[in-house]
Amino acid sequence: MHRAASSHVTSRRTLLLGALSLPVLAACGTDSGNQPEPESTAPVELSVFWWGSESRAKATEEALKLYTAKYPFVTFKTTWQGNQGYYDKLATLAAGGNAPDIFQIDDGALSEYAERNVTLDLTSYKEKNKLDVSKFPESLWKYAEVDGKLAGVPTGENTPGMIYDKQLCQELGVPEPKTGMSWEELIAWGEQVYTKSGGKVLGTMDPSADYKALWVWLRQQGKELYGKKAMAVSKEDLIKWFDLWKGARDRKAAPTADIIHEANAGDVTKQLVVTGKAATSFLWANQLSDTQKLTKRTLGVVAYPGDPKGQWARAAMYFSVARSSERKDRAVDVINFLVNSPEVGKLWGADRGLSSNMDVRKGVADGLTDKVTKEAFAFETDLASKFGQAPPVPPKGHVKVRQLLTTHAESVQYGKATSAEAAEAFLKEADAALK
Amino acid sequence: MPRSSNPANRKEGIAGYVFLSPWLLGLMGITAIPMLGSLVLSFTNYDLLSDWSELEWVGFDNYTRMFADDPHYLDAVGVTVIFALVAVPLKLAAALGVALLLNKERRGTGIFRGLFYLPSLLGGSVALALVWRAMWSKDGAVNAFLALFGIEGLNWINEPDWALETLVVLAIWQFGAPMVIFLAGLKQVPNELYEAAAVDGATKWRSFWHITLPGLSPVIFFNLVLETINGFQGFTSAYVVSGGTGGPVDSTLMYTLYLYQSGFTDYEMGYASAMAWVFLIAIALITATLFSTGKFWVHYGDGQ
Repeated sequence: MHRAASSHVTSRRTLLLGALSLPVLAACGTDSGNQPEPESTAPVELSVFWWGSESRAKATEEALKLYTAKYPFVTFKTTWQGNQGYYDKLATLAAGGNAPDIFQIDDGALSEYAERNVTLDLTSYKEKNKLDVSKFPESLWKYAEVDGKLAGVPTGENTPGMIYDKQLCQELGVPEPKTGMSWEELIAWGEQVYTKSGGKVLGTMDPSADYKALWVWLRQQGKELYGKKAMAVSKEDLIKWFDLWKGARDRKAAPTADIIHEANAGDVTKQLVVTGKAATSFLWANQLSDTQKLTKRTLGVVAYPGDPKGQWARAAMYFSVARSSERKDRAVDVINFLVNSPEVGKLWGADRGLSSNMDVRKGVADGLTDKVTKEAFAFETDLASKFGQAPPVPPKGHVKVRQLLTTHAESVQYGKATSAEAAEAFLKEADAALK
Repeated sequence: MPRSSNPANRKEGIAGYVFLSPWLLGLMGITAIPMLGSLVLSFTNYDLLSDWSELEWVGFDNYTRMFADDPHYLDAVGVTVIFALVAVPLKLAAALGVALLLNKERRGTGIFRGLFYLPSLLGGSVALALVWRAMWSKDGAVNAFLALFGIEGLNWINEPDWALETLVVLAIWQFGAPMVIFLAGLKQVPNELYEAAAVDGATKWRSFWHITLPGLSPVIFFNLVLETINGFQGFTSAYVVSGGTGGPVDSTLMYTLYLYQSGFTDYEMGYASAMAWVFLIAIALITATLFSTGKFWVHYGDGQ
């Protein structure tokens, strides 16, 4: 008797509670429909993985803390490392089913990951405005599309930049390189640097092993590097390219093969403007501050030689969400915050490229105090009006092609192959890698 | 009496397997099953990142591609063979030479044994390879030393004709492990033989040639097999010194490094698996060949 009454009471209370909570739940539902915020407030930890320097790591941690301040139930497990080996680790994580919720990626690898469906297609988030790219230049967010899928969110805009030793030019009394100078003029300049420095500074870096220099050079002639599932560059053009730099080395306008090889490894600390072995390095505009931090000499940045319309507004890097993530909505919201928040923009400066969001970019530009960042910003803003149209993102197989170009260009530099032999071998292997 | 009919024996057998089980589990889980997995993958286009549903059976394509259509693979085979052919004999010679010097008990031999063994303790470590890279660079310690004699050194690790040689020197320098084994072997050679030889008026060289070497032959054989297998598997030094590229111009592209690149940089894990199997078979064949030559020159003390 007693027991029955108690259970009766309980069930009535349950009902009552249920009835009370219904409108609350309903309210939650409509609320989340209007705002681009995921619903659940249960504690959640997102893994974030990127490459970069220590200062980038610090700025990233601080930006994520801003998000946690906004949503205290969201915390982050961050992992970062230097450039070298980053993709090895990312691939291993992804293969083991442990892809980070959010990871940094660049256009060298975006197609590799997107075509293999590792990255989440963000198109629906963009359409529902949960991912806001309305303040981005259209060409910039479109540079994240692979096969019609939005594979990442550009963190910022970037373009190839030739970084040079400004101080040396003054010391030697040679003019500084200028945007728009021809490749021939650069080589003549390199020769001058070599002579006037008494052979101490070996002219200009020889970028013949560098795909982006080759690409810009081709685009200046109205040609492209990549076609559909094959290389677009012709054998004749490649031979011309290799010969151009062979000529430069013969004139001592560029260093010898062993010195070039040191820089080709890609490590920022080994770049020749940093080590002082040559007066230029072919890098990205946003690397001005990274290289400047590594040397006491004053550096500057200009566009790659030739007509600057060969360059384009390229995404410096992207944030992507793993398709396997169990916290996709939250991960997208975090990225949305990182790329659109003015505070984050100020924290990052030009480290991940010029902010994609134009309003944020303006805010960052106005608040800049650091001289070097200011210069990189001004350079790229100025160049933006001269950009040509962006090509599609490099295709799957690009990583291999990049390595093949280095190997074959170096075999010419070391005199192990003629330009024609290297061009032929490269094209054969590169075409196979793109299939 | 057959063993199985004795229940006590059978119980003991089961207990044996129970005690073995941690090792067996390790063997199955970490070695045997993944190896079989890689054998299966070597016949597919497995690329590490794609969904399993995209996996395609490609037959022997990966295997034919290695030999017919991949110049870098052949480069890697060449580099590895040269490395093993040069580094292994020199390393063993160095180990044996130093072991002979340290065999006699003098004051301080213990310290020297320890010192010579040190580089091996550091083994294939990344730190050591980094130091090596710095030492052999254009403005590194090696060139500074050469400059004392007025010699201008090369940019060793960045010259395709010399980069591999620096790795060979690194391998030779780490002769400590075979040296210790040689030392132990030298103690096993019966002293009476030397005494008898001395009585017969044999020179030091003759007693080395006719007593030490034959007496030591089982140990030499053991070291040779071990070091050959190690030599073929060299990875860390090549990876670190070349910054993971195997450059300049494939000159340090060791087999395992190219295998790693194929799997993790080019995302061609099926191809990399096929390479691993060819590698395994090649090493097995080389080891078998070494064993088959053993009967001609390895003398076991028990008269067999």
